[in-house]
Amino acid sequence: MEPSEVFVVIPAFNEGAVLRSTVAGVASFGYTVVVVDDGSANPAESHLGGLNAYCLRHVANLGQGAALRTGGEFALTRGAAVVVHFDADGQHSPELIERLIDPIVRGRSEVTLGSRFLDENDRLLVPRPKRVLLRIGAVVSWMFTGVRLSDTHNGFRAFSRRAAGKIQPRETGFAHATEILGLIRRAKLSYLEVPVTIRYTDYSRAKGQKMSNSFNIVIDLMLRKLFK
Amino acid sequence: MTSIQGILIAGIAIAAIFASTVFRAKLLYRLLALLLFLTAAVLVIFPDLTNVIAHALGVGRGADLLLYVSLVAGVDIALLLYLRIRDLEQKIAEVVRTVAIRDASRIP
Repeated sequence: MEPSEVFVVIPAFNEGAVLRSTVAGVASFGYTVVVVDDGSANPAESHLGGLNAYCLRHVANLGQGAALRTGGEFALTRGAAVVVHFDADGQHSPELIERLIDPIVRGRSEVTLGSRFLDENDRLLVPRPKRVLLRIGAVVSWMFTGVRLSDTHNGFRAFSRRAAGKIQPRETGFAHATEILGLIRRAKLSYLEVPVTIRYTDYSRAKGQKMSNSFNIVIDLMLRKLFK
Repeated sequence: MTSIQGILIAGIAIAAIFASTVFRAKLLYRLLALLLFLTAAVLVIFPDLTNVIAHALGVGRGADLLLYVSLVAGVDIALLLYLRIRDLEQKIAEVVRTVAIRDASRIP
């Protein structure tokens, strides 16, 4: 498989210069980068001059889940063999994409999900309060979807072409992380967790989900359960 | 007729006219709305009727019965509206997504 057949979808909302270095990092491995600008005040494209990437723009802010779906659908129209979800804020390492997609390339799994909790060193990098919250998140996701993972709110994921066609989250906000697990189960796709290192920087901490937002996510999920 | 009855009847009449213009193309909604407003008007004109119904249902006063019914109806309406808004959000997302994919640009 050519690296260019691997489409890396990077949702961006009001990202600054970090977006540029993230895109440059991913593109340097030869992957096809798809930036989905989710209605940023300053178009993300203005940060990307001279880089090798596709840029799609939502004219209104819809949420990260919607941006990932837009990028995924676009990738499929351009013949992607593998679709990767990647965060814009620099917390994922481009060199780990190869490890993440390896089981898909070898046909061992249709979906791979990055986990911060498979490797002790990765686990210790997660700030302690966040670790506790993510544990609770994993249990909640397990309750809602029946898929039990060590780390459920990790934005680093990869899908085979077939899987990407079946995983189209309707949840526009951050509840998509759990929704994707439900879709994996419904479509009976094989999945695997792959250890990944998350780099917490001041920037990613400021940009990332507020911990208090977990409450909203659970409410979104419950409403979805109630109203199909 | 007391003055409160006059005010309520006027309000019901306005709501009925408004509803029948909003639901122009939907016969079922129109009939249901008409039935609702007729019932409301009858209860306003003969307030003792609410007491009779309330006693039959085991509620002390007609006014209490009205309160319970309107509370439940209010919650139901809020949920219906919530579903409608979700539908609309999905549609907006589809439009925004279609435009984004159509206008995708390749940065050279």
